[in-house]
Amino acid sequence: MLTKMLRCLLLVVFVVTSAYAQNYPAKSVRIIVPYAPGGSVDSVTRLVGQKFTKEFGQPFIVENRAGASGNIGTDSAAKAAPDGYTLLMSSSPPLAANIHLFKKLPFDPFKDFAPIMLIANQPNVLVLNPSVPAGSVKELIELAKSKPGKLTFGSSGVGASQHMAAELFMMMTGVNMKHVPYKGGGPAMVDLIGGHIDLMLETAPSAIPFVHSGKVKALAVTTLQRSGRLPNVPTLDEAGLKGYEFRGWIGLVAPAGVPKEIIAKLHDQLQKDIAGDLRKQLDEMGLDIAGGTPQQFADFIRKDSDMYAKLVKAANIAPR
Amino acid sequence: MMDLISNLHLGFSVAITPMNVMYAFIGCFLGTLIGVLPGIGPVATIAMLLPVTYVLPPVSALIMMAGLYYGAQYGGSTTSILVNLPGEPSSVVTCIDGYQMARKGRAGPALTAAAMGSFFAGSVGVLVLAAFATPLTELAFKFGPSEYFSLMVLGLIGAVLLATGSLLKAIAMILLGLLLGVVGTDINSGVERFSLNIAELADGIGFVVIAMGIFGYGEIIGNLGQSKDKREVFTSKVHGLFPTKKDFKDMTPAVLRGTVVGCMLGILPGGGALLAAFAAYAIEKKVAMRTDEVPFGQGNIRGVASPESANNAGAQTSFIPLLTLGIPTNAVMALMVGAMTIHNIQPGPQVITNNPELFWGLIVSMWIGNLMLVILNLPLIAIWIKMLTVPYHFLYPAIVLFCAIGVYSTNNNTFDIWMVGIFGFIGYLFIKLGCEPAPLLLGFILGPMMEENLRRALLIADGDWWRAFMMRPLSATLLILVALLLLIVMLPGIKKKRKEALTG
Amino acid sequence: MKIKSQKDFYSGVLFMVVGIGFAWGATRYEIGVGSNMGPGYFPFMLGVLIAALGVIITIKALIIKNEDGDKIGPWAWKPLAYILGANLAFGVLVGGLPSIRLPAAGLIAGIYILTLIASLASHAFKIRQAMILATILAVGSYLAFIVLLKLNISVWPAFITG
Repeated sequence: MLTKMLRCLLLVVFVVTSAYAQNYPAKSVRIIVPYAPGGSVDSVTRLVGQKFTKEFGQPFIVENRAGASGNIGTDSAAKAAPDGYTLLMSSSPPLAANIHLFKKLPFDPFKDFAPIMLIANQPNVLVLNPSVPAGSVKELIELAKSKPGKLTFGSSGVGASQHMAAELFMMMTGVNMKHVPYKGGGPAMVDLIGGHIDLMLETAPSAIPFVHSGKVKALAVTTLQRSGRLPNVPTLDEAGLKGYEFRGWIGLVAPAGVPKEIIAKLHDQLQKDIAGDLRKQLDEMGLDIAGGTPQQFADFIRKDSDMYAKLVKAANIAPR
Repeated sequence: MMDLISNLHLGFSVAITPMNVMYAFIGCFLGTLIGVLPGIGPVATIAMLLPVTYVLPPVSALIMMAGLYYGAQYGGSTTSILVNLPGEPSSVVTCIDGYQMARKGRAGPALTAAAMGSFFAGSVGVLVLAAFATPLTELAFKFGPSEYFSLMVLGLIGAVLLATGSLLKAIAMILLGLLLGVVGTDINSGVERFSLNIAELADGIGFVVIAMGIFGYGEIIGNLGQSKDKREVFTSKVHGLFPTKKDFKDMTPAVLRGTVVGCMLGILPGGGALLAAFAAYAIEKKVAMRTDEVPFGQGNIRGVASPESANNAGAQTSFIPLLTLGIPTNAVMALMVGAMTIHNIQPGPQVITNNPELFWGLIVSMWIGNLMLVILNLPLIAIWIKMLTVPYHFLYPAIVLFCAIGVYSTNNNTFDIWMVGIFGFIGYLFIKLGCEPAPLLLGFILGPMMEENLRRALLIADGDWWRAFMMRPLSATLLILVALLLLIVMLPGIKKKRKEALTG
Repeated sequence: MKIKSQKDFYSGVLFMVVGIGFAWGATRYEIGVGSNMGPGYFPFMLGVLIAALGVIITIKALIIKNEDGDKIGPWAWKPLAYILGANLAFGVLVGGLPSIRLPAAGLIAGIYILTLIASLASHAFKIRQAMILATILAVGSYLAFIVLLKLNISVWPAFITG
C-alpha cells in the first residue's frame, strides 16, 4: 500500500517535473553576470543570451551584478529559486579561486551550484615590454635570475589570473619577480606599453591586439595548446617549463536543485551552439571553445580550485 | 594637412549618411535623457542596447554609443545647474556656480553658457582628436604611476581652491573625502579596509551614492527644514534665456581656457575629463576678476562655462586611448570595445589602418553629435526653466524618486538605496554644520587614485621617494608646479586671515 | 568658555571623532613605513590629519569672535524622517527583502509609496495632489526607464508577473 502510494507520488512528481521541463522556458530567464558590463564574461553571456532568446523563444536577459570579485552576483544566483529561470555565467574567480582568497564566502561554490557546461577556456599570454632584453622564455628566466626581485609584473589585482599565472611561473622556475597590482587589466597594459612595468601574463583577449600591433612582445601562452590567434607563439610547456598549464574559463551554471531535465535542455542547446557560429565569434575574441558534460564541468571546477589553493599558499596571500 | 582633409572627407562621407545621422541622433537623444535623469549612468543603458547594436553595421553601432556617452555628459550639466545634482564626477564643479545662478533666476544664461561652451570645446576636441591622436597617445604613455601621483597632488591643491567658505574646513572635507575613498579592497595588498564585512563595500562606496545622498537628499531635507519665509528656493523672477552681452564678454575667455585644459588632460587614461573640469575651475578662480563680476560660489558665469567646456573637450579627447590603443578608459568605452569585438574588429592600434572608415567616421560623427546636442538642447532650455516654476513641493518628491531609481539601476542592488539614505543624513549634517560638500567629492574621487599610484610608484622604485618622484622630469615638473601653486594659494590666504583677525 | 561659533565647534568635534575613529580602525591593518606602506598607512595618516584639523577648528570656534554665534539652528526632524523613510520604503518595495522572504512589489507600487511619504515632509501636503503627482511620475518613469532606457527593474509585483 505504502509502496504503491509512494510509486504514485513519484510518478506524479516525475510527470509534473518533466512537464515543467518540457514547457521550459515559459517566461523570461535571467542570466546573472557577476561583473560590470564590457568584459569577456559579459560579452560571452550576451552572445549566448542572444542565441538562447532566438532558440527558446523566450527572452534571456543579462543582468550585471558586479562587485567583490564576483561574489555579490554569484551569491545572488546561489540564493535564487532553483527553477531554471535564474542562471549564472561564471568564470574561475567566484567558483574556483575566491574560496581560497576570502575568509568567508556567503555561498558554497561546490554545493550551491549545478554546473551546466564549460563554454570556453581563456589562455593567458606572457607579454613583455619590447625594451626588456629577453627574446625567449629561457632568456627571461636567466634575466630574472640575474636580478632577483627587480623585474616587475602587472596584474588586475591581488589574486587575479595574471597574478596567479605569474605565481605558478615563479613557483616552477624558482625566480623572484615583483608583483605590481592594478585596478583592472587596462591600466596595467598602458603601463606595460609605457615601460613602467616589465611584463604581464595578460588574458588572451586583452593581450592579442597589442601583440599584433607590436606594442608588446609575446613569449608564450599558458595553455597546453597554442592559441589559434597566435599560432607562432609557443606554449610555456613547449618553451621549457614542462607541465606548466594555466587557464581562465567561462561556464554556465544554475543554482543547485534545478531539475535535471532543464539542465540537460540548456546543455544540449549550448552544445549545438558552440559547434555553430558561436565558435567563430568566441574564437575571434581569443577564447578556446571547451564543451563537455555537466559532470566533467563539475570535476573541472574542483580540480581548478585545488590548483588555486596551492598558488594562493605559494604566493602567501592572506585571505581577506 | 592634406591627409587630415582627405581623412575628414572620408569621415564625412561615412557619418553623413541618413542612417548614421539617425543613429547619432538616437544616441544623443537617449544620452540627453540619461544625463538629465539624475543618477542614471550611461553604462546600464548602453549594456541594454548592446544586443541591438549587434545587428547594426559596426560604424552605426559605435556612432550611437558614442552619442549616448557624450549626450549623457552634456545632459549632466542640466541637472547640476537646475537641481544641484551632479550625475557624473565631472559635473560636480558645475554645481557650485551653476546652481547659484539658477537660484538667482539665471538658469537660462547658465544653461546656454554650458551648451555653447560645450559645443565649442567639443568641436575643438574633435579636431585635436583628428589631427594629433597618435602623437598624443605617446604622451599618455609617459604618464606612469609617479606622474599620476604628482598630477593628483596638483589636483588636490586645485580642490582647495574650490572652497568658498572656511579654508580649514574645506581641507578637512577633502581629507574626509580621501578617507571615504579608502573604503573597500586595497589594490596593493588585497586587504579589505573599513568594509565592515559587507560584500557590497568590498569595491568601495559608489560615487553616485555619495553624490545623490549628499547633494540630493541632504539638500532637500535642508530646504524643507528652512522656515517658511526663507524656503523660497528659487526666485520667481527669471531673467531671460540668453546670456547678456556682459555675460558673453566674461565667458568667452573662460571657454577658451577651459577648452585648452580639457584637451590636454582628456588624453590621460584615468580621470582625465574629470581633472580637467576641476583644473579649469581652479584656473578661473585665480584669473583676476573684474569689479562688476559676481564672486565665485555665488553664481559666476565663468564658473559654469569653463569647467563645462573643459569636461566636454576632455570627453572627446578621452576617446584617444580607446581609438589608438583599444584601451577603454571608462566603463562606457569598455562596452564599445565589446561591441567592436562582436563585429570582428580588433580594437587597438591597427583600427586606423585596417578600418579607416570606422575611425574617421566615428570622429566626424562626434562633431555632428555635438552639433545635434546644441540644436537639441537650446530649445529645451526654455522647458527646463519652466520646470523651475513648478512648486517645490512637487519638485522634490520627483528628485527623491529619480535619485532612488538612479542608484538602484547602477548595480541592481538595494544596498545602494540604503547607502544613499545614510549619505542623505550625512549631507544634511554637513549643511547644518556649514561644511561644503564639493571638496569632499573631489577628495573621494582623487583619493584612491592618489594612494594607488603613490604606493605603486614606491613599489617600483624600491621605496625610494626621490627616485620615484624627483628623478623623473615630468613628475618633478608637476611637483614644482604644486609648490608654486601652494605659495600662490597661501599668500593671499594669509593676508586675508590677517585682515579678518584685525577687523574680526 | 563660551562657544563663539556653534557650527565650527561641532564640525571640529565631528572631524576629531571621525579622524580618530578611522585612525584607530587603520591600526587593524598593517601600517608599514613611508618607503613601504601597508594598507593601513594612508588611512592612519589621514585620520590623524583630520583629527588635528578638527582640534584647530574647534579651538578657533572657541576663540574667534562671531557676531551671531553662528548657530546651528533647529533640526528638521520631520523632513529628515519622511525623506529617508520614503527612500527606505522604495528600496523595500522595489527590491523586496530576501532575508524575510518579502517579494518585490515592483516599481509602480514603489513610486506611489515614495511620492506619498516624501510629500508628507512638506507643509503643503494634500493627498489628492500627491496622488496626481505619483501618477504622473509613475507613467513618466515607466516611459523613460522601462520603455526608452530598458532598465532591468521589475515593474509589477512578483505575484502578478509570476
